[in-house]
Amino acid sequence: MTTPIIQTTNLRKTYMLGKVRVEALRGVDLRVEKGDFLAILGPSGSGKSTLLNMIGALDKPTEGKVFIEGIDVSTLDDNGLADLRRKVGFVFQFFNLIPRLTAKGNVELTMAIPGLGKKERGKRAEELLETVGLKERVGHKPAELSGGERQRVAIARALANSPNFLLMDEPTGNIDSKTSKEIMALVIRLNKEKGMTTIVITHDQHIAAQAKRKVQMLDGLIIREEVS
Amino acid sequence: MKASDVFSYAFSAIRLRKLRAGLTILGVVIGIAAIVALLSISQGLQNSISEQLQTGFATDTLIVSTGGGFGPGEMASTGSDFKLSVNHTQIIDEIENVDMSVAVIQKSCYVESGEREFRLTVAGVDFAKYADIYSGTFIAKSGKIPLNPENEIVVVGKRISDPWKNGTLFCDVDYTIKIIWTTYNASTLKPENKTYMGNVVAVLEEIGGFGLGPSDSSVYIPISQAQTFFETNECNTIIVKVENDDETTIESVSEAIEVAFSDQVSVISSTAVLNTISSVFATIEFFLAGIAGISLLVAGVGIMNIMIVSLMERTREIGILKALGMKSRTVLSIFLSEAVIVGLIGAAFGVASGWVLANVVAVVFSGGGLPGVGRGNHAATAGGMVITPVLTPTVFLGALAFGLIVSVVFALYPAWRASKLKPVEALRYE
Repeated sequence: MTTPIIQTTNLRKTYMLGKVRVEALRGVDLRVEKGDFLAILGPSGSGKSTLLNMIGALDKPTEGKVFIEGIDVSTLDDNGLADLRRKVGFVFQFFNLIPRLTAKGNVELTMAIPGLGKKERGKRAEELLETVGLKERVGHKPAELSGGERQRVAIARALANSPNFLLMDEPTGNIDSKTSKEIMALVIRLNKEKGMTTIVITHDQHIAAQAKRKVQMLDGLIIREEVS
Repeated sequence: MKASDVFSYAFSAIRLRKLRAGLTILGVVIGIAAIVALLSISQGLQNSISEQLQTGFATDTLIVSTGGGFGPGEMASTGSDFKLSVNHTQIIDEIENVDMSVAVIQKSCYVESGEREFRLTVAGVDFAKYADIYSGTFIAKSGKIPLNPENEIVVVGKRISDPWKNGTLFCDVDYTIKIIWTTYNASTLKPENKTYMGNVVAVLEEIGGFGLGPSDSSVYIPISQAQTFFETNECNTIIVKVENDDETTIESVSEAIEVAFSDQVSVISSTAVLNTISSVFATIEFFLAGIAGISLLVAGVGIMNIMIVSLMERTREIGILKALGMKSRTVLSIFLSEAVIVGLIGAAFGVASGWVLANVVAVVFSGGGLPGVGRGNHAATAGGMVITPVLTPTVFLGALAFGLIVSVVFALYPAWRASKLKPVEALRYE
């Protein structure tokens, strides 16, 4: 049996929201193999985003463990976690681009963090933006781009450091359905052609239908999984 | 992340908020400018005072007096009844390395010429020796200083001749002036006036400023005449010319003189006076720099304030950077780089504007118009002094470094806080 690219065991997360104790995750066991395309569904507050943040090493579990390519994330220090995040392609619902940087600048920044040279990263940023269909918009700042365009920039950015997997938190939640279809087509193509392991949180049944696995969450637990 | 990338990222953040960055920088500029201006003016002032002292007070001379006078405590009066006499020059002349010595009898007298009268210092000196010791200042501008005078003659300083600096002369060569000395009868204590009618034989070159040697506002009469006129052999000071101005020679001669007079005299060397002045200036500079430093601290608090605000505004951005895998120390160095940029620009502009300010102040201080504007009177003759502000490399580099250090130190806390943000919380920040 091969090592899964992502594995969580009895993952729990509790945090205080003001004075209220919130049990966001109540024991999640998830195993993702290389090349998987997972859709996570569930109402808001069911723990989807919390799970994704744990996998992306943005947050620490209260209990349980996350393994990325067999490595226990809880054993990593601050720098180790930073290194790990460089190999995670995160796409957020609200894009999270740096407003003062251009589309190209945003993609380049991702590559500048691990220390890639200016020339190389410039070339690669242009290639990536061309891949997501933004060849003509490289010099525009996020404010000058539409929601769909911004999300494409975010995807280009997520791919910049050749990540081990893509984590998408409602990537189409803030864009129109036509653009959303185009974006999902792009993600599916990446999964099929490049074998990019992808986890998508979505409310959209059409998107979920295209995933290889559908994971249903409720109240911090995985309640059902369908494999197509 | 490469250092150059860290810097350009920091720079892009600064550029985004130009007004805010500009005001932050202005704070540093003001602080640094104050330091540079104050220090370069006081340095210039010190230089001009030292220079004038060296002109008026040859470095190879010593001044022997019975105490009091100019200088720190050790030279204060010995409290004895010892009086220096004109004949004491003979004792001094025998000391090794002494070239010559000249006694000065100095009294305050009324000097009359025509219908005007001034209270002036009248000094009795041996003209030949005095001119030799102060060969740079005891020079006749008009007339001739007689080397072996026998008559009742007078040599006057430039200001005595032309006190109003407008050509209306109080006296000039060939004038006869009247020196009135009031003495008190020893038994009756009644004042008695003695007069000395002196023929002006020379007017000195302008000396400028002040010094311990010849001065523009003194009247000189031959020592033999002074002894007769003032009816005394007692002299105020003896000026000693040492063979060279080597520090060890000066010291050994000073000591030898003190020993010769059983420590009843004090010996002042120009070096000692200059050292005293330097130490006084060092204190003043320290004080001024302290005041200016406070304004820089205020600028530092401003930097800290701005950076904390900026940190809050950019919490989400920091979250993004961390989510992209940026290490905490890189976040720290981005924020510190912003402070370095603000500090460097502020310090550079601060040094430049401080220098300009110093020059403007120097012109105003010197008491006359703008430089280059033709005026008959040189600033020095207008009673003031010419101050040329001096920006020493120490002050220049020190100010740059201080500006930089203050900026960075006050940015440490905000930068540290930024680096400690947790990515998931920072991303959630609205």
